[in-house]
Amino acid sequence: MATLLVVKEQLAGFYSRFEAYLNAVLKFLLTLVALLIINADLGYMSKIDNGAIVLIVSLLCSFLPVNLIVIILAIFVLLHIYALSLTCAAIVGILFVIMFVLYLRFAPSDAAAVILTPICYIIKIPYVVPLTLGFVGNPMSCVSVACGTAVYFMLNYIKNNADQIASFGNDAESALGSFKYIIDGLLGSDQMLLMVITFAVVVISVFMIKSLPVDYSWKIALGMGVVVNVLIILIGCSALEVDMSIGGVLVGTIVSALIVLVIQFFIFNVDYSRTENVQFEDDEYYYYVKAIPKISMEAPDVNVTRFNPRDEYDEYGEETGYDDYGNDGYN
Amino acid sequence: MLNEERIELMTRMAAYESRQGRKDMSINSFFRGDYISFQVLKSALYATVGFGLAVAMYILYDLEGFLTDFYKLDIEEFVKGLGMKYAIVLIVYLLISYFIYAFRFSRAKKHIKKYLSQLKELEEMYDWDY
Repeated sequence: MATLLVVKEQLAGFYSRFEAYLNAVLKFLLTLVALLIINADLGYMSKIDNGAIVLIVSLLCSFLPVNLIVIILAIFVLLHIYALSLTCAAIVGILFVIMFVLYLRFAPSDAAAVILTPICYIIKIPYVVPLTLGFVGNPMSCVSVACGTAVYFMLNYIKNNADQIASFGNDAESALGSFKYIIDGLLGSDQMLLMVITFAVVVISVFMIKSLPVDYSWKIALGMGVVVNVLIILIGCSALEVDMSIGGVLVGTIVSALIVLVIQFFIFNVDYSRTENVQFEDDEYYYYVKAIPKISMEAPDVNVTRFNPRDEYDEYGEETGYDDYGNDGYN
Repeated sequence: MLNEERIELMTRMAAYESRQGRKDMSINSFFRGDYISFQVLKSALYATVGFGLAVAMYILYDLEGFLTDFYKLDIEEFVKGLGMKYAIVLIVYLLISYFIYAFRFSRAKKHIKKYLSQLKELEEMYDWDY
């Protein structure tokens, strides 16, 4: 435990020193992974399904705000779908705009969640995102998780029905016929509805419980988040007749909870205060100050165990003058 | 002569100014009512765009049926129904916006109050020097 605490402190120190570079690297990796997944799943436009382009865009995104990265990824998705079917691209484009309208107004700071939710779905642990956002976000973060979930299910539908979608022509008559089919497929998934509702409830309940002024509120919130998640999915599965592997949900939720515990330990309890580079002046000086947060190393817990303890008092309640080690204190 | 305590305070204030302070100060330049109503108005615009697109999707969903039945359609009833739905969406959206932006305004006010007290503290430090 002591070693872990030291590692945590070192990590905090490392992050606060190299924050600018680390953020750029994290954004680069996030964009790279997202683009690789998009290209692997949807790669219908061969021009952008290209390693060099992916690398260049990822490098460019490492210096851009996360909200702009979301827009660039959305453009990538739309271009791929456009190569498949113009009608489908138009519908997905309209849905994206509706999502942007919702999410940009209410939860613009959770842009990373919109990208991370589909990625976590692919690695089968989507529950990490709502559980984490309940701790780091606010109740409105459920909008970003909902958008991420909707994006995943839409892309999944397009991937699985690509041949059918591509068979619709782009002329007006077949476009009219295909609208209904595509919209039904994109939005008609009961599983998507169930996951959106579940994640929204999980985010809000975790947020509310962790804000309670009681001991261990964070641990209770995580436990309740897990229970709420599994319960709603179980009830929803039977109510909406959705076919989901219950074992998968249970294992996924438990693994997600463990990951959230690790995230809590390494991120939430540490003050990742940043290194500040500020400039100001007064009547006498110009100041160029670099303020580096102090690192406080946690001292390992010391346990005092008494071996062969001898009573320091005799039977009459008077001090014997001997300590635990049998010394009388005068030698 | 450099005054360390003063530099520490000024650094804290400059760090705040360069990050959260910028947003807080722009919020603070409004009166509460003006800020919230401006933001709620902006939300109304977003809600209108979103609702318009959703209606477009709804019509496109069954365009053939819509066009076939267009002449049989009771326009007044259709517009009334649409208006009702728009009103409900707008009210929900605006209520949420109101609460969010009222919260943001009071948070910014709290930050600015702390900043001003630091500013006063700094001024007093200069008074001691001279």
